[in-house]
Amino acid sequence: MRRREVLKLLVTGSVLPTLSPPLLAACREIHEAITESKSLKALSVHQHATLIAMAELILPRTDTPGAKDTNVNLFIDRILADWCTIAERDRFLTGLADVDRRAQSLFQKNFVDSSVAQQTEILRGLGEELAEAVAAVASGARGNRGSTPEPQDNFYLQFRKLTLTGYFTSEPGFTQQLGQEIVPGRFDSCAPVRSAVQTKGS
Amino acid sequence: MAPSKYDAIVIGSGITGGWAAKELTEKGLRTLVLEAGRPIVPEKDYVEHVPSWEMPYRGMKDRRKLEKEQPIQSLCYACEEVNSNFFVKDTEHPYTTAPDKPFWWIRGRQVGGRSILWGRQSYRWSDLDFAANLRDGIAVDWPIRYADLAPWYDYVEQFIGVSGEAMGLAQLPDGKFLPPMELTCAEKTVKEAVAKSFGPERVLTIGRVAVLTQDHNGRAPCHYCGPCHRGCISLSYFSSVNATLPAAEKTRRLTLRPFSTVHSLIFDSKTRRITGVRVIDTNTREALEFNAPLIFLCASTLESARILLNSATPEFPNGLANSSGEVGHNLMDHIKAGGARGIVPGHEKMRTIGNRPNIAYMPRFRNVKDQRHDFIRGYGMQAYSFQDDWRRGAMEVDFGADFKRRISDPGPWNFIFEGYGECLPRYDNFVEIDKNTVDAWGIPSLRIHCAFGENELALRKDASISATEMLSASGAREIQPFRDSDPPGFSIHEMGTARMGRDPKTSVLNSWNQSHDIKNLFITDGACMTSSGCANPSLTYMALTARACDYAVNQLKRGEL
Repeated sequence: MRRREVLKLLVTGSVLPTLSPPLLAACREIHEAITESKSLKALSVHQHATLIAMAELILPRTDTPGAKDTNVNLFIDRILADWCTIAERDRFLTGLADVDRRAQSLFQKNFVDSSVAQQTEILRGLGEELAEAVAAVASGARGNRGSTPEPQDNFYLQFRKLTLTGYFTSEPGFTQQLGQEIVPGRFDSCAPVRSAVQTKGS
Repeated sequence: MAPSKYDAIVIGSGITGGWAAKELTEKGLRTLVLEAGRPIVPEKDYVEHVPSWEMPYRGMKDRRKLEKEQPIQSLCYACEEVNSNFFVKDTEHPYTTAPDKPFWWIRGRQVGGRSILWGRQSYRWSDLDFAANLRDGIAVDWPIRYADLAPWYDYVEQFIGVSGEAMGLAQLPDGKFLPPMELTCAEKTVKEAVAKSFGPERVLTIGRVAVLTQDHNGRAPCHYCGPCHRGCISLSYFSSVNATLPAAEKTRRLTLRPFSTVHSLIFDSKTRRITGVRVIDTNTREALEFNAPLIFLCASTLESARILLNSATPEFPNGLANSSGEVGHNLMDHIKAGGARGIVPGHEKMRTIGNRPNIAYMPRFRNVKDQRHDFIRGYGMQAYSFQDDWRRGAMEVDFGADFKRRISDPGPWNFIFEGYGECLPRYDNFVEIDKNTVDAWGIPSLRIHCAFGENELALRKDASISATEMLSASGAREIQPFRDSDPPGFSIHEMGTARMGRDPKTSVLNSWNQSHDIKNLFITDGACMTSSGCANPSLTYMALTARACDYAVNQLKRGEL
């Protein structure tokens, strides 16, 4: 069945009961994939899935929402499409492809199809390389106002930055995870951190 | 000629134009305020409470648009994703410099001008500043002293509301303060350590800031949301829109005309007075003319100079009110970007609640009692303390649930000392009309020639050294001295270009901010400054404006203008 026909069937509700359950599920999957690829601006469906899996490992759902719950992936897609330079976007997508290359060479499958333990191993590898890159520039020229220098063009660093930004600037990230308010209404110059308060309370 | 509808015209509605509007209307003058930009309606235009998740780029700004339209404006920290329309489009407002002499000109054209965006730091100058040129034999002497301005500082502070701590220092006179904001725990640590090592000459105090800490003249105290430069719906910080323009409005003698780009002033050679103002309607491009017997030029240091230079006549071939040849010259800013950063130990389990819209401040301590051999004048230190936040997690290797929890707590306390140094007035730092460049309204633009001199660079260097010493004395670790190369203009404290002075041959304005050449012309924005001091200048502009208005109205009533 061609895609267009499937869609036609889906919108024509009367046809639905005549479809067998497996066929119906297949239709839904195709429908979701089409909707997803339409809403994505820079990423393919596969790149998107890889990004979601990676971001959720960095900031998983705990007692608060995680990266996927807060659509960090869609934020990154927007940044890649409308904010980055073409060179920056290409570098990012190359980095993403490299994640699959690593998974293939270690486990003979793509990152999204790897087990959590295998995915964790791949991120650790990326992290070790990032740490080396950070160390390599540490003694170099400082940034603005003496800030810590950052390695340039490092995919994993850019990925982590965008993941953290997307999460902590989301409503759940800001209000639930950080416990902040837009209008605090007061200034307390020296209050205990939240975890210290929570530990004391429990 | 029919009698004019207005008794006075104020050009500009920024921090000084707003004050001129308030003072002139309250003293009975029907006043027209010409503002080049759009009107500002707080309920509609203020955006301080827009949460990050409602911003498409989550605070990372519409980078492509800004790089295209506002490449210079977006360098300013206050030019953010949601408020970049409080800054001009660089594409509409070109200016030129020599390639090796960059000048970053940050501008806001709307009702309220840059008073919506300013840093709100409000310091009195002292005779250490007003007598400096005379003492050093540099440029010309200020025609006033602290005693002339002190009652006007009182007057302005009582209206705008300045929170701060009285310290009894001669070089930074106390004002009429509202209760001070609190120092953070890291600031208290540094304050104590510096006092112990360096004695009473180096004092860290909370910034004196035009942000209310209690109800004041019908305006509410700060609610500590943080980004004042996006506006303030509770009117808690001072701006023209929040305070002076509403006061002028109340008199029913104010006519505020937004979208009125001033082209030039009209000079009548017979009466030797300015008779009117040539305006281009910002939207329709229609040429208009407005008349009044009294003109207050408050368009900002560089725009006021530009208007004078674009108003040349046969009598004043080098620019109006420029018989001295000093219009456009002696351009100053403050030199910043010399300082140090470090991590202050302790208080790891502490954090701040609320966003204090204020810094800590160390008043000038160089060349106050002793005389240095490597430079004259001095600098004040702005001090910032802030904890690392979740952003620190990007450069780490960890991930997962524990990582998420850990980086959600604030991290170590960073501390930055950064000097703001005095710039000397020099004739060869100047602006002129660039005949080959016009703005979007066809008005010739400026070519800016400005560079820091040896004395300024020595101040930047010394600020870095003394900042390092003080962080070291505070037990800070990972101390990083810095001397960044921020060009002139970027402290956004432009001054000079129509200086006050005693002698009409060497200065543009007299001791009342009145043109030596043209009696009904007053200039009270930063253009009037004879030297640059090292403390933030806006409070002084406001005091000078109120004082000049008082004088001008008295003169007008006596028929002397």
